[in-house]
Amino acid sequence: MRHSHGVHQAVLGVVSRNPEGIHGYAVRLQGERLLGHFWRLNFGEIYRILDRLAADGLIEQIAGGESVRKVYRITPRGQRSLDDYVLSPQTDAPRPLRQELAVKLLFASSEHLPELLRLVARQRDAYLQELHTLGAERRKMHRAPFDAFVTHLMIDGAELAARAEIAWLGEVATRLRERYGAGATGNATA
Amino acid sequence: MIEYRQVTKVFGSGDTAVKAVDDLSFTIERGDFWSLMGPSGAGKSTVLHLIAGLTSPTSGAVLVEGRDVARMSGKEAAELRRRRVGYVLQAFNLLPFLTAEENVGMPLVLDGVPQREIDRRVPAALELVKMTHRAKHHPTTLSGGEQQRVAIARALVIDPAIVLADEPTGNLDRANGRAVMDLLVDLNERLSVTILLVTHDPVFAAMAKRVLHLVDGSLEQTTASDGDGDALTTSGRRR
Ligand SMILES: Nc1ncnc2c1ncn2[C@@H]1O[C@H](COP(=O)(O)OP(=O)(O)OP(=O)(O)O)[C@@H](O)[C@H]1O
Ligand SMILES: [Mg+2]
Repeated sequence: MRHSHGVHQAVLGVVSRNPEGIHGYAVRLQGERLLGHFWRLNFGEIYRILDRLAADGLIEQIAGGESVRKVYRITPRGQRSLDDYVLSPQTDAPRPLRQELAVKLLFASSEHLPELLRLVARQRDAYLQELHTLGAERRKMHRAPFDAFVTHLMIDGAELAARAEIAWLGEVATRLRERYGAGATGNATA
Repeated sequence: MIEYRQVTKVFGSGDTAVKAVDDLSFTIERGDFWSLMGPSGAGKSTVLHLIAGLTSPTSGAVLVEGRDVARMSGKEAAELRRRRVGYVLQAFNLLPFLTAEENVGMPLVLDGVPQREIDRRVPAALELVKMTHRAKHHPTTLSGGEQQRVAIARALVIDPAIVLADEPTGNLDRANGRAVMDLLVDLNERLSVTILLVTHDPVFAAMAKRVLHLVDGSLEQTTASDGDGDALTTSGRRR
């Protein structure tokens, strides 16, 4: 969730679920419960966002709290803004092509096959590591006492993306071996 | 627990010789959970066969619990397969004319275990895979996922120290595949069963503690992403 477009709205959404008011610490806890692994905001970021949302009039501080903590609730304007956001079209752009690896493949010479394969393998391992983390997260959510519907969907999406990357990297490795490997015949230049 | 010492396995000879396993060395400790990935024909199934003593190495040695599998007597090797190693295959290999519980009890019958003991262990194994309610069903009346769970129960009924699983999710949809994987993870975590899993599915492979990549019968050399904490290690060598 870090740096993505939806961060402010996510915080606003958590505040909206608490009509009686909520403080920053609870925003973080609830966010983690709702989005698990995908909610990666630290306290500093949450307080900055809360200040910003308050300055924009989307949330307001509840007056006369006995606690020293600032307690917020959503304003009618904030609720309208959230509703608009939920129903607005997605702005996520499709991922760009894997340009970095493509450039390396174009300009590496065939004697560097082992290094190229290691590069590909390292990238694959990074995705496997991500899958390992997602799998642990899924099992954790399974035992959680609350409804993790959206988190499950997020994990599904992240798994599918990682799976596609790993499949592609496997294809790259196989083709590189065919083209430049010991058994390969013919042109070694790209 | 499982040790490969410079193992090479060649099938056939002369022009048609195929090196299925090429100078392979590794050690799997008790309670480990590894998965083995790699292209078709890379030698993954052969690696499992050598551990179960279903075939013997051309050179080198495979040790299970410190003993060289190829040097075991026929009786010892059979004992290894019947008492220590549970094998799960992609094709479930259930006997169609037997019920689920009879299929599960088969390894015990073959091993001459007394019926009383069988009657105690079979329900426990079915319970483990949550198939108690289908005990009296024949395989043809079970879904693919259910058949696989019965096949897993059959592998578990012997109380194995080691489970070898060769694409156990290959014939299953995602939900059933995930259920089978959850079961394997659980076996490993709760009962410390040592597991070696062959799979083409990266999502499932990554549920293991370590992923090995086999290419042309040998381990692909990659960087060691250090195995601290929850991190997955993917290199061929241990730290
Ligand atoms: N009994 C056998 N006789 C001859 N060749 C064999 C035999 N068993 C395996 N091979 C050969 O050894 C190589 C490795 O086979 P293996 O079954 O171990 O591959 P694999 O990695 O399990 O592949 P897949 O993903 O397709 O199951 C292949 O080239 C195969 O043809
Ligand atoms: Mg195979």
